[in-house]
Amino acid sequence: MSGEYIAFLALALVALAGGIFMLNLTKVVHMVVALVFTFVSIAGVYVLLSAEFIAAVQVLIYSGAITIIMLFGIMLTRHQDDGQSTGSPLRKALALLATLAFGAAVYVGIRHLDFGEEAAALHEKNTEQIGVALYTNYVIPFELTSVLLLVALVGAIILAKKDDKEAGEK
Amino acid sequence: MEMETLLKYEWGVMMPEFIILGVATILSLIDLFMPKDRNRRPLALFALTGVVVALVSLLSLLSVDVTSILGDTFRLDSFAKAFKVLLFLGGALVLLLSLHYEPQEGLLYRGEFYYLFLTALLGAMMMASSGDLITLFVGLELLSISSYILVGLRKKYALANESALKYVISGGIATAITLFGMSYIFGFTGTTNIKEIAQYLNETVDLGHQYVLALAFFLTLIGLSFKLAAAPFHMWAPDVYQGAPTPVTAFLSVVSKTAGFVIVLRLLVSVFAQIPAEGSNSPSMLLSLQDYIAFLAAVTMILGNTIALKQRNVKRMLAYSSIAHAGYVLVAFATLSMFMFDAVWFYLLAYLLMNFGAFAILQVVSAQSQSEDIQVFAGLYKRSPMMAVAMAIFLLSLAGIPGTAGFIGKVNIFLGAFVTEPAHYVLAAIMIATTVVSYVYYFGIFVQMFFRPVEDKRKIEWPIGIIVVVAVCAFGTILFGLFPSIAYDFLGQFDHFSDFLQ
Repeated sequence: MSGEYIAFLALALVALAGGIFMLNLTKVVHMVVALVFTFVSIAGVYVLLSAEFIAAVQVLIYSGAITIIMLFGIMLTRHQDDGQSTGSPLRKALALLATLAFGAAVYVGIRHLDFGEEAAALHEKNTEQIGVALYTNYVIPFELTSVLLLVALVGAIILAKKDDKEAGEK
Repeated sequence: MEMETLLKYEWGVMMPEFIILGVATILSLIDLFMPKDRNRRPLALFALTGVVVALVSLLSLLSVDVTSILGDTFRLDSFAKAFKVLLFLGGALVLLLSLHYEPQEGLLYRGEFYYLFLTALLGAMMMASSGDLITLFVGLELLSISSYILVGLRKKYALANESALKYVISGGIATAITLFGMSYIFGFTGTTNIKEIAQYLNETVDLGHQYVLALAFFLTLIGLSFKLAAAPFHMWAPDVYQGAPTPVTAFLSVVSKTAGFVIVLRLLVSVFAQIPAEGSNSPSMLLSLQDYIAFLAAVTMILGNTIALKQRNVKRMLAYSSIAHAGYVLVAFATLSMFMFDAVWFYLLAYLLMNFGAFAILQVVSAQSQSEDIQVFAGLYKRSPMMAVAMAIFLLSLAGIPGTAGFIGKVNIFLGAFVTEPAHYVLAAIMIATTVVSYVYYFGIFVQMFFRPVEDKRKIEWPIGIIVVVAVCAFGTILFGLFPSIAYDFLGQFDHFSDFLQ
């Protein structure tokens, strides 16, 4: 058992545990904290795969930006802090069964999977390569993504903004 | 890459995309700097002009050979050309509908309403003309996110809020599933270029790989079925269609669905038709999995048509009817006949015409009575005979009665189910049976229009844009119903989309 394998097991365990805790905890803030554990351990998995740039982005965007925005959302809105679990036991059992079946189907597929030889040059200037690819071959999807972000921005503003009349009444 | 190499590509073939992008940008700027109390309706006409100009520029590109830019991240082939024509037609009609859209509480963000349609259209266009997983996905998301916002634009209307939230959650889950499937495809091949993926997978003989690839196929198909609103992944559709502003509902049920079929054909056919199913020299994976697509099609037709029977709300009824129509198109996909692309294209054209016509009339009638119950159509023939006749044409076409485009579309799909070997008798039988079931609810509206007494004696004002939409759609429905060869001559120049994978 190599060190890499042990590290992967630990990270995967934390990621899964974070996800499960997020689903089962009842307080919103606790859920966010559980989610952070998942995000950070996935960043760790990226490092194991020699994708340092993606790992850094994962930490910055997910563990940083998204978590902070969630916390802002919790702070700034009126909400009931406690959620209660819904759904009948039968429904839960069916969901569990479906999840297990899907897990089993995927596991059967990937257990003996042989990908041929491993790529050798993984560590060579990752960030630079991503940058070069983005600004040459993938410049069309890149520009399209900026339109997408603009649309998301406009949407966020008009959906969340207080209308003038409403603001005036307060 | 040097600037010169970048400039060597024929960027001219992206003209329609550039026009739409430019018009959307200009609109957003105009909207920003326009005084608040100004009437924003002219912006819709500007957007409409943009769509028409883009359509003209696309038509001028029809004779251009297959052109690909930057490793297929953008490609203009006959598939892209044909389906972009449909998308532009839908975009133009939806802008005409939204020109006169006026909800009870008023529309606060009219400028955004117009240019978000354009960005959604841009996303759909990129899905139609790309041979790369990344561009396909970004296009899909651009379309989806624009539509999430459009659905939620009526902020003061509780139903709209509910439907927007439902749409964003179920859409997000669907996206995740699609992406998970795509990640397997990418993981096996190490490339996002669909052509290279197809070539690489063509040589796959490892059974373990094929198992996981089949898994990837199901994940992608399920994820994309949400976009098509195919059963059993249709749950969001009725609620979202009911809550959304009527032009947005029309957009979702036609343009968004067309885009969904575009990406399904583009991705699944080109990738999975190349993989041998078991060992080398066996039939392709797509053929061996076609029973599952057929199952999806059958469930969609049955559920859509039977649940539509008990709907009183016309918008909900049209939502279930649109689910049923997705099922018919899926039949064409499931049979994988040689004429699949032509049948799908023609059906989507017929569907576009009849559905937009029906939504245009529904929009005015329901705005007048402030209700979407089927009773609002009572005595429409006495109040405005022309519109009642037009609505009758659309309903007949939706039901698939001879003489209308809907009939020709259905016959094409139906015949396609028989030309393949082995023929799909069960699927064809289900299609016939469910079509007969659909007569019941379509003729329910009929009865209201022609035989029920008038409840609301007020005269209906028909805005000019709506009249144009109804006239174009009614004319097209009859024209392609009587002379389908016009559409087939148009398709003929593409030679059964043989350059799909070149």
